[in-house]
Amino acid sequence: MLILALDSTAVVATVALCRDDQPLASFTLKNGNTHSETLLPMAKALFDVTGYTADDVDLFACSEGPGSFTGVRIGAATIKGLAFGKQKTVIGVSSLEAMARNLLPANGLICPVMNARRGQVYNALFLAKDNCLTRLCPDRALAATELYDELLARGEPFYLIGDGCEVAKAAFGDLTSLPVPALLTEQNAVGVARAALALFESGVRTTDQELSPTYLRLPQAERERLAKEQALK
Amino acid sequence: MYTLTLYTAAATETEAAGAALAARMLTDESLPPFVALYGDLGVGKTAFVRGFASVVAPGVLVRSPTFALVNEYRGKEKHLFHFDMYRITDEDDLYSIGYDDYLARDGICLVEWSENIPYALPPHHLRVEIEKNDPAMPDSRRITIEERS
Repeated sequence: MLILALDSTAVVATVALCRDDQPLASFTLKNGNTHSETLLPMAKALFDVTGYTADDVDLFACSEGPGSFTGVRIGAATIKGLAFGKQKTVIGVSSLEAMARNLLPANGLICPVMNARRGQVYNALFLAKDNCLTRLCPDRALAATELYDELLARGEPFYLIGDGCEVAKAAFGDLTSLPVPALLTEQNAVGVARAALALFESGVRTTDQELSPTYLRLPQAERERLAKEQALK
Repeated sequence: MYTLTLYTAAATETEAAGAALAARMLTDESLPPFVALYGDLGVGKTAFVRGFASVVAPGVLVRSPTFALVNEYRGKEKHLFHFDMYRITDEDDLYSIGYDDYLARDGICLVEWSENIPYALPPHHLRVEIEKNDPAMPDSRRITIEERS
Protein backbone atom coordinates (compact mmCIF):
# COMPACT_ATOMS: atom_id res chain seq x y z
CA MET A 1 0.00 0.00 0.00
CA LEU A 2 1.40 3.40 -1.02
CA ILE A 3 0.95 6.08 1.65
CA LEU A 4 1.45 9.83 1.28
CA ALA A 5 1.79 11.47 4.70
CA LEU A 6 2.46 15.01 5.84
CA ASP A 7 2.73 17.11 8.97
CA SER A 8 2.80 20.91 9.24
CA THR A 9 1.50 21.35 12.78
CA ALA A 10 4.69 23.02 14.02
CA VAL A 11 7.64 24.91 12.51
CA VAL A 12 8.78 21.76 10.70
CA ALA A 13 7.13 20.84 7.39
CA THR A 14 7.49 17.17 6.53
CA VAL A 15 6.20 14.92 3.76
CA ALA A 16 6.81 11.20 3.26
CA LEU A 17 5.96 8.54 0.74
CA CYS A 18 5.85 5.09 2.32
CA ARG A 19 5.28 1.56 1.12
CA ASP A 20 3.31 0.20 4.08
CA ASP A 21 5.45 1.02 7.13
CA GLN A 22 8.67 1.47 5.16
CA PRO A 23 9.71 4.94 3.94
CA LEU A 24 10.42 5.26 0.21
CA ALA A 25 11.24 8.96 0.32
CA SER A 26 10.83 11.78 2.79
CA PHE A 27 11.40 15.51 2.80
CA THR A 28 11.65 17.56 5.98
CA LEU A 29 12.10 21.32 6.02
CA LYS A 30 12.73 23.65 8.94
CA ASN A 31 13.68 27.03 7.55
CA GLY A 32 10.75 29.14 8.74
CA ASN A 33 9.07 29.30 5.32
CA THR A 34 5.28 29.30 5.21
CA HIS A 35 3.89 25.77 4.97
CA SER A 36 1.33 26.87 2.39
CA GLU A 37 4.24 27.67 0.07
CA THR A 38 6.39 24.59 0.75
CA LEU A 39 4.22 21.49 1.29
CA LEU A 40 3.05 21.04 -2.28
CA PRO A 41 6.48 21.55 -3.89
CA MET A 42 7.83 19.03 -1.35
CA ALA A 43 5.16 16.47 -2.24
CA LYS A 44 5.83 17.09 -5.94
CA ALA A 45 9.56 16.53 -5.39
CA LEU A 46 8.83 13.15 -3.78
CA PHE A 47 6.58 12.12 -6.67
CA ASP A 48 9.14 13.32 -9.23
CA VAL A 49 12.08 11.40 -7.76
CA THR A 50 10.13 8.19 -7.12
CA GLY A 51 8.16 8.22 -10.36
CA TYR A 52 4.80 7.91 -8.64
CA THR A 53 1.88 10.30 -8.95
CA ALA A 54 -0.93 11.24 -6.59
CA ASP A 55 -3.12 8.75 -8.49
CA ASP A 56 -0.90 5.88 -7.26
CA VAL A 57 -1.45 6.74 -3.60
CA ASP A 58 -3.73 4.30 -1.72
CA LEU A 59 -3.83 6.11 1.61
CA PHE A 60 -3.53 9.84 2.29
CA ALA A 61 -2.52 10.81 5.82
CA CYS A 62 -1.86 14.00 7.75
CA SER A 63 -1.41 15.21 11.30
CA GLU A 64 -4.74 16.83 12.11
CA GLY A 65 -3.49 18.52 15.29
CA PRO A 66 -2.85 19.63 17.90
CA GLY A 67 -0.44 22.36 16.88
CA SER A 68 -0.23 25.84 15.43
CA PHE A 69 -3.62 27.03 14.15
CA THR A 70 -2.44 27.92 10.67
CA GLY A 71 -0.17 24.87 10.45
CA VAL A 72 -2.98 22.47 11.33
CA ARG A 73 -5.29 24.06 8.76
CA ILE A 74 -2.68 24.10 6.01
CA GLY A 75 -1.88 20.40 6.55
CA ALA A 76 -5.51 19.29 6.53
CA ALA A 77 -6.37 21.48 3.52
CA THR A 78 -3.36 20.23 1.56
CA ILE A 79 -4.09 16.54 2.06
CA LYS A 80 -7.77 17.11 1.30
CA GLY A 81 -6.77 18.86 -1.92
CA LEU A 82 -4.42 16.07 -2.97
CA ALA A 83 -7.01 13.38 -2.22
CA PHE A 84 -9.97 15.26 -3.66
CA GLY A 85 -12.11 13.19 -5.98
CA LYS A 86 -9.88 10.11 -5.78
CA GLN A 87 -12.22 7.96 -3.63
CA LYS A 88 -9.30 6.93 -1.44
CA THR A 89 -9.01 6.60 2.31
CA VAL A 90 -7.85 9.78 4.05
CA ILE A 91 -6.79 9.45 7.68
CA GLY A 92 -5.97 12.20 10.16
CA VAL A 93 -3.73 11.31 13.09
CA SER A 94 -2.57 12.99 16.26
CA SER A 95 0.63 14.96 15.68
CA LEU A 96 1.78 13.82 19.15
CA GLU A 97 1.17 10.15 18.44
CA ALA A 98 2.95 10.40 15.07
CA MET A 99 6.01 11.80 16.83
CA ALA A 100 5.91 9.10 19.51
CA ARG A 101 5.66 6.38 16.87
CA ASN A 102 9.01 7.42 15.37
CA LEU A 103 10.71 6.30 18.61
CA LEU A 104 9.61 2.67 18.23
CA PRO A 105 10.97 0.08 18.96
CA ALA A 106 12.11 1.95 22.10
CA ASN A 107 10.51 0.71 25.30
CA GLY A 108 9.09 2.88 28.04
CA LEU A 109 7.19 6.09 28.63
CA ILE A 110 7.14 8.55 25.71
CA CYS A 111 6.24 12.18 26.39
CA PRO A 112 5.86 14.32 23.25
CA VAL A 113 5.47 18.04 23.92
CA MET A 114 4.67 20.85 21.49
CA ASN A 115 5.04 24.50 22.40
CA ALA A 116 1.55 25.94 22.91
CA ARG A 117 3.01 29.31 24.07
CA ARG A 118 2.74 31.13 27.37
CA GLY A 119 4.15 28.24 29.38
CA GLN A 120 1.73 25.68 27.95
CA VAL A 121 2.44 22.53 25.99
CA TYR A 122 0.34 20.16 23.90
CA ASN A 123 1.00 16.69 25.23
CA ALA A 124 -0.14 13.11 25.55
CA LEU A 125 1.62 10.18 27.21
CA PHE A 126 2.33 6.87 25.50
CA LEU A 127 3.73 3.58 26.67
CA ALA A 128 5.93 1.77 24.16
CA LYS A 129 6.38 -1.95 24.57
CA ASP A 130 7.16 -4.82 22.16
CA ASN A 131 6.99 -2.42 19.19
CA CYS A 132 3.45 -1.36 20.17
CA LEU A 133 2.30 2.05 21.30
CA THR A 134 -0.37 2.37 23.99
CA ARG A 135 -1.95 5.76 24.58
CA LEU A 136 -2.23 6.64 28.28
CA CYS A 137 -4.27 9.85 27.99
CA PRO A 138 -5.99 11.99 25.34
CA ASP A 139 -4.17 14.88 23.62
CA ARG A 140 -4.39 17.91 25.87
CA ALA A 141 -3.03 21.39 26.48
CA LEU A 142 -1.60 21.95 29.91
CA ALA A 143 0.95 24.06 31.77
CA ALA A 144 4.47 22.60 31.60
CA THR A 145 4.51 22.78 35.41
CA GLU A 146 1.42 20.54 35.60
CA LEU A 147 3.11 18.02 33.33
CA TYR A 148 6.13 18.14 35.63
CA ASP A 149 3.93 17.25 38.62
CA GLU A 150 2.43 14.35 36.69
CA LEU A 151 5.76 12.91 35.56
CA LEU A 152 7.21 13.32 39.02
CA ALA A 153 4.26 11.39 40.46
CA ARG A 154 4.72 8.59 37.90
CA GLY A 155 8.38 8.29 38.83
CA GLU A 156 9.33 6.46 35.59
CA PRO A 157 12.12 7.32 33.17
CA PHE A 158 10.67 8.95 30.05
CA TYR A 159 11.58 10.11 26.55
CA LEU A 160 10.90 13.80 25.89
CA ILE A 161 10.44 14.87 22.23
CA GLY A 162 8.93 17.75 20.27
CA ASP A 163 9.42 21.50 19.89
CA GLY A 164 8.10 22.03 23.42
CA CYS A 165 11.19 20.39 24.93
CA GLU A 166 12.75 23.72 25.83
CA VAL A 167 9.61 24.98 27.59
CA ALA A 168 9.23 21.64 29.34
CA LYS A 169 12.86 21.40 30.43
CA ALA A 170 12.69 24.92 31.86
CA ALA A 171 9.78 23.77 34.03
CA PHE A 172 11.22 20.34 34.85
CA GLY A 173 14.40 21.56 36.57
CA ASP A 174 16.50 18.55 37.54
CA LEU A 175 13.93 15.99 36.37
CA THR A 176 15.81 14.72 33.33
CA SER A 177 14.65 12.62 30.38
CA LEU A 178 16.18 9.70 28.50
CA PRO A 179 18.48 10.55 25.57
CA VAL A 180 16.85 10.67 22.10
CA PRO A 181 18.72 10.78 18.74
CA ALA A 182 18.55 14.30 17.31
CA LEU A 183 16.80 13.08 14.14
CA LEU A 184 13.83 11.86 16.18
CA THR A 185 13.21 14.90 18.34
CA GLU A 186 10.77 16.63 15.99
CA GLN A 187 8.02 15.80 13.51
CA ASN A 188 8.73 13.42 10.66
CA ALA A 189 5.97 12.36 8.29
CA VAL A 190 7.08 8.71 8.39
CA GLY A 191 5.53 8.61 11.88
CA VAL A 192 2.33 10.06 10.43
CA ALA A 193 2.23 7.31 7.79
CA ARG A 194 2.79 4.63 10.46
CA ALA A 195 0.10 6.05 12.75
CA ALA A 196 -2.33 6.18 9.82
CA LEU A 197 -1.43 2.64 8.79
CA ALA A 198 -2.17 1.40 12.32
CA LEU A 199 -5.60 3.03 12.13
CA PHE A 200 -6.19 1.62 8.65
CA GLU A 201 -5.31 -1.88 9.86
CA SER A 202 -7.78 -1.46 12.72
CA GLY A 203 -10.51 -0.80 10.15
CA VAL A 204 -10.61 3.01 9.83
CA ARG A 205 -11.77 4.07 6.33
CA THR A 206 -12.38 7.81 6.59
CA THR A 207 -12.67 10.02 3.51
CA ASP A 208 -11.35 13.45 2.56
CA GLN A 209 -14.69 14.94 3.55
CA GLU A 210 -14.51 13.49 7.05
CA LEU A 211 -11.00 14.75 7.78
CA SER A 212 -11.17 17.77 10.03
CA PRO A 213 -8.56 19.78 11.95
CA THR A 214 -8.37 19.20 15.69
CA TYR A 215 -7.83 22.25 17.86
CA LEU A 216 -7.30 21.95 21.57
CA ARG A 217 -8.70 24.66 23.72
CA LEU A 218 -6.48 26.21 26.31
CA PRO A 219 -8.58 26.15 29.47
CA GLN A 220 -5.55 26.61 31.71
CA ALA A 221 -4.47 29.72 29.84
CA GLU A 222 -7.97 31.05 30.24
CA ARG A 223 -7.87 30.40 33.95
CA GLU A 224 -4.51 32.10 34.26
CA ARG A 225 -5.71 35.10 32.34
CA LEU A 226 -8.79 35.48 34.52
CA ALA A 227 -6.64 35.18 37.63
CA LYS A 228 -4.29 37.86 36.30
CA GLU A 229 -7.19 40.14 35.44
CA GLN A 230 -8.61 39.69 38.93
CA ALA A 231 -5.21 40.53 40.41
CA LEU A 232 -5.03 43.72 38.34
CA LYS A 233 -8.41 44.97 39.56
CA MET B 1 15.40 51.66 27.17
CA TYR B 2 13.90 53.73 24.37
CA THR B 3 11.31 56.32 25.36
CA LEU B 4 9.94 59.28 23.45
CA THR B 5 7.01 61.66 23.82
CA LEU B 6 5.72 63.55 20.80
CA TYR B 7 2.98 66.09 20.24
CA THR B 8 1.18 66.22 16.91
CA ALA B 9 -1.34 68.73 15.62
CA ALA B 10 -2.92 66.79 12.72
CA ALA B 11 -3.45 63.25 11.44
CA THR B 12 -0.67 63.78 8.88
CA GLU B 13 1.75 64.47 11.73
CA THR B 14 0.62 61.33 13.55
CA GLU B 15 1.39 59.44 10.32
CA ALA B 16 4.83 61.04 10.24
CA ALA B 17 5.41 59.90 13.83
CA GLY B 18 4.58 56.34 12.76
CA ALA B 19 6.96 56.63 9.82
CA ALA B 20 9.74 57.89 12.08
CA LEU B 21 9.33 54.98 14.48
CA ALA B 22 9.38 52.50 11.58
CA ALA B 23 12.61 53.99 10.22
CA ARG B 24 14.15 53.73 13.66
CA MET B 25 13.02 50.11 14.12
CA LEU B 26 14.45 49.06 10.76
CA THR B 27 17.89 50.40 11.69
CA ASP B 28 18.06 49.76 15.44
CA GLU B 29 18.11 45.99 16.00
CA SER B 30 17.96 46.37 19.77
CA LEU B 31 14.29 47.41 19.45
CA PRO B 32 11.69 44.61 19.62
CA PRO B 33 9.65 43.90 16.45
CA PHE B 34 6.36 44.30 18.32
CA VAL B 35 4.37 47.51 18.80
CA ALA B 36 1.42 47.50 21.19
CA LEU B 37 -0.89 50.41 20.38
CA TYR B 38 -3.17 51.97 22.97
CA GLY B 39 -5.77 54.68 22.51
CA ASP B 40 -9.48 55.37 22.20
CA LEU B 41 -11.60 54.98 19.09
CA GLY B 42 -10.75 57.58 16.47
CA VAL B 43 -7.63 58.81 18.22
CA GLY B 44 -5.39 58.02 15.25
CA LYS B 45 -4.00 54.52 15.76
CA THR B 46 -4.63 53.60 12.15
CA ALA B 47 -3.07 56.87 10.96
CA PHE B 48 0.02 55.95 12.96
CA VAL B 49 0.08 52.49 11.35
CA ARG B 50 -0.38 54.05 7.90
CA GLY B 51 2.75 56.13 8.42
CA PHE B 52 4.60 53.12 9.80
CA ALA B 53 3.61 50.99 6.80
CA SER B 54 4.67 53.70 4.33
CA VAL B 55 8.26 52.98 5.43
CA VAL B 56 8.20 49.20 5.88
CA ALA B 57 5.90 48.31 2.99
CA PRO B 58 5.60 51.38 0.72
CA GLY B 59 2.54 51.55 -1.49
CA VAL B 60 0.28 49.18 0.48
CA LEU B 61 -3.25 50.19 1.35
CA VAL B 62 -3.63 50.35 5.13
CA ARG B 63 -7.04 49.86 6.67
CA SER B 64 -8.02 49.05 10.20
CA PRO B 65 -8.47 45.24 10.26
CA THR B 66 -11.70 45.52 12.23
CA PHE B 67 -13.31 42.64 10.38
CA ALA B 68 -10.28 40.75 9.05
CA LEU B 69 -8.66 40.96 12.53
CA VAL B 70 -5.22 40.94 10.92
CA ASN B 71 -3.83 42.46 7.72
CA GLU B 72 -0.53 41.44 6.21
CA TYR B 73 1.54 44.03 4.38
CA ARG B 74 4.46 42.58 2.47
CA GLY B 75 7.56 44.74 2.76
CA LYS B 76 10.98 44.49 1.15
CA GLU B 77 12.99 43.80 4.31
CA LYS B 78 10.22 42.85 6.71
CA HIS B 79 6.57 41.97 6.50
CA LEU B 80 4.14 43.93 8.64
CA PHE B 81 1.31 42.26 10.56
CA HIS B 82 -1.41 44.71 11.56
CA PHE B 83 -3.81 43.38 14.21
CA ASP B 84 -7.01 44.78 15.64
CA MET B 85 -7.82 43.09 18.96
CA TYR B 86 -11.03 45.05 19.50
CA ARG B 87 -13.18 41.93 19.10
CA ILE B 88 -10.70 39.47 20.63
CA THR B 89 -11.93 38.41 24.03
CA ASP B 90 -10.06 35.27 24.99
CA GLU B 91 -7.24 32.87 24.32
CA ASP B 92 -9.32 30.79 21.89
CA ASP B 93 -9.99 33.88 19.74
CA LEU B 94 -6.31 34.66 19.74
CA TYR B 95 -5.42 31.11 18.72
CA SER B 96 -7.94 31.18 15.92
CA ILE B 97 -6.35 34.20 14.23
CA GLY B 98 -2.95 32.47 14.33
CA TYR B 99 -1.50 35.14 16.64
CA ASP B 100 1.41 32.99 17.87
CA ASP B 101 2.19 31.89 14.31
CA TYR B 102 2.63 35.54 13.31
CA LEU B 103 4.85 36.17 16.32
CA ALA B 104 7.08 33.30 15.28
CA ARG B 105 7.56 34.79 11.80
CA ASP B 106 10.31 37.26 11.16
CA GLY B 107 8.11 40.33 10.73
CA ILE B 108 6.94 43.35 12.65
CA CYS B 109 3.64 43.19 14.57
CA LEU B 110 1.54 46.29 15.15
CA VAL B 111 -1.33 45.61 17.50
CA GLU B 112 -4.31 47.93 17.92
CA TRP B 113 -6.40 47.46 21.07
CA SER B 114 -3.56 45.78 22.95
CA GLU B 115 -5.65 46.51 26.05
CA ASN B 116 -7.55 43.32 25.24
CA ILE B 117 -4.58 40.95 25.32
CA PRO B 118 -2.32 42.00 28.22
CA TYR B 119 -1.53 38.35 28.97
CA ALA B 120 -0.31 37.65 25.45
CA LEU B 121 2.05 40.56 24.80
CA PRO B 122 5.69 39.50 24.42
CA PRO B 123 7.61 40.74 27.48
CA HIS B 124 9.89 42.85 25.30
CA HIS B 125 7.79 45.23 23.21
CA LEU B 126 7.21 48.87 22.39
CA ARG B 127 4.21 50.49 23.98
CA VAL B 128 2.71 53.35 21.97
CA GLU B 129 -0.09 55.34 23.54
CA ILE B 130 -1.97 57.98 21.58
CA GLU B 131 -4.15 60.43 23.53
CA LYS B 132 -6.04 63.65 22.94
CA ASN B 133 -4.19 66.16 25.07
CA ASP B 134 -5.99 69.46 24.64
CA PRO B 135 -9.80 69.85 24.61
CA ALA B 136 -9.40 73.22 22.88
CA MET B 137 -7.51 71.60 19.98
CA PRO B 138 -9.45 68.51 18.89
CA ASP B 139 -6.73 67.42 16.43
CA SER B 140 -3.80 67.59 18.78
CA ARG B 141 -2.37 64.40 20.22
CA ARG B 142 0.23 63.26 22.68
CA ILE B 143 2.10 60.12 21.54
CA THR B 144 4.11 58.28 24.17
CA ILE B 145 6.53 55.60 22.99
CA GLU B 146 8.04 53.39 25.64
CA GLU B 147 10.22 50.28 25.37
CA ARG B 148 9.09 47.60 27.82
CA SER B 149 10.87 44.44 28.82
